[in-house]
Amino acid sequence: MGYAWAAGATVVATLVAFGLDAYFHVVNVALVYLLAVVLVALRWARGPVIAVAVLNVAAFNFFFIPPRGTFHVDDPQYLLTFAMMLGVGLVVSGLTERVRARARAQAALEIEAETERIRSALLASISHDLRTPLAVITGAASTLAERGERLPPEERASLAQSIFQQARDMSELVTKVLQMTRLETGAIRLERDWGSLPEIAGAVLRRLKPRLADHLVMVDLPDELPLVRMDASLVEQVLGNLLENAARHTPPRTLIRLKAQNQGTDLVVSVEDFGPGLPGGDLERIFDKFRHGERGGAGLGLAICRAIVQLHGGRIWAERLPGVGSAFRFALPLEAQPPLPAEALAR
Amino acid sequence: MSATILVVEDEPEIRMFLRSSLGAEGYRVVESPNGRRGTLDAGMHKPDLAIVDLGLPDFDGVEVIRRIREWSPMPIVVLSARIQERSKIDALDAGADDYVTKPFGVGELLARVRAALRHATRPSSGKVLALGDATVDFEKRQAKRGEREIHLTPIEFRLLACLAKHLGMVVTHRQLLTEVWGPTHSEDTHYLRVYMKQLREKLEADPVQPKHLLTETGVGYRLVADD
Repeated sequence: MGYAWAAGATVVATLVAFGLDAYFHVVNVALVYLLAVVLVALRWARGPVIAVAVLNVAAFNFFFIPPRGTFHVDDPQYLLTFAMMLGVGLVVSGLTERVRARARAQAALEIEAETERIRSALLASISHDLRTPLAVITGAASTLAERGERLPPEERASLAQSIFQQARDMSELVTKVLQMTRLETGAIRLERDWGSLPEIAGAVLRRLKPRLADHLVMVDLPDELPLVRMDASLVEQVLGNLLENAARHTPPRTLIRLKAQNQGTDLVVSVEDFGPGLPGGDLERIFDKFRHGERGGAGLGLAICRAIVQLHGGRIWAERLPGVGSAFRFALPLEAQPPLPAEALAR
Repeated sequence: MSATILVVEDEPEIRMFLRSSLGAEGYRVVESPNGRRGTLDAGMHKPDLAIVDLGLPDFDGVEVIRRIREWSPMPIVVLSARIQERSKIDALDAGADDYVTKPFGVGELLARVRAALRHATRPSSGKVLALGDATVDFEKRQAKRGEREIHLTPIEFRLLACLAKHLGMVVTHRQLLTEVWGPTHSEDTHYLRVYMKQLREKLEADPVQPKHLLTETGVGYRLVADD
């Protein structure tokens, strides 16, 4: 690639030189070639610089040194021209290379520092969230293993139940971490298909029934909602995370409302709660990873929601509701609806 | 007579808890640690049902399902990790009857196993289906909500019949579309969205939170009747 540029530079310099030739001294013409060498040296490494110096001297020699149209390599003057061009080219190329290397090293250091920061935040957050359940599991399981037969059946059952619950929470956390990593590294490809939001809502409400049992869930969906081109499994996760968050951060018997609205270009889905509301501060920041005291898990739930919604070309945001409570909303872009079959076609 | 269940799973710890929980329910359990053995054991032991893990060390669980399906209609339930969305659907399209996502509670697995065995011994076609206050009689092509007759279009009937044929089990989008609208429409998922909505409005007490016509997001649908 660099060599192509070197050849190109010589051609351009020669054309420019021809233009100047009529009005200027041949020494000035030589400077055009020198400029070409410097320009190549600013962009490319040593090889193309040597190439452009050689080509330039040859072209200069051939076209502009009388007798024109011939090469003469005997005159030491033109050896000097060549040496100067090469020298200037290599110095410039060396300098730019050094500047560039420093910039690269700087950028690499910054990325490394950022990765390190994220990694340690992740580790701190995860190890905290894993330590408690692991302690419960270890304790309960060892009690069952070593003293099980001496315990009354109801105590055995409750120990087993707490092992089950803690292990399930841990496994959910691990799934979230994996999911976030996959979203961030671009390992998730959207499997888009026509999907129905009420269907997804139905599925998620069914899945989360035990966890929402202590709250009053109100579903407020219009009868006719357009279909959306989306990855239904991922959108279900978004809705699930938002509902779980609402349940986790509001006292029992709090009203949680699931709403959807067709706003023409977007379908806007909302999870509103009438709980204590959101803390002060920037509402955008609560979607950042590992935000401390975030609603739930290792501070990943909302970050996952945002990544998924953005993959769909949508937006997600939080609002403080007037008076009391909070709302989390996301908007998914709507497209022209697909054609439907006439019932008769099917016979 | 107790049913024999083949478990094809490479993790010994998972085999262990499957053996004890299935054993406690009175099933006889045959264990295979990999796909090759699993395929052989399926032929040798002629189990009543197979549980196949999708992440096997030697070959894909989907391949095990294909090989079993070459000669046997035995019900197959697959175990899949959350990350294997795609292979789960491939497994179902290859002929698996249902799936459970790891990690799963044993109650969920046993429910799937029971539904699959019940379906294998008593195919549900041609019977009257009870869905809450709605009943559907496939022979008479008649649907009722309480005493009131409700009209189902031919397509709605076909869709419902296809789900009823796999009562209690998941049916993929592709299977439903192919059976109801034909192979040229196997990708037209939006047909299902529209017709399932209509069916729910006609048969469910709360169409948004259905109790019978359930959505398996990203996979397909499941019809659950009253016990």
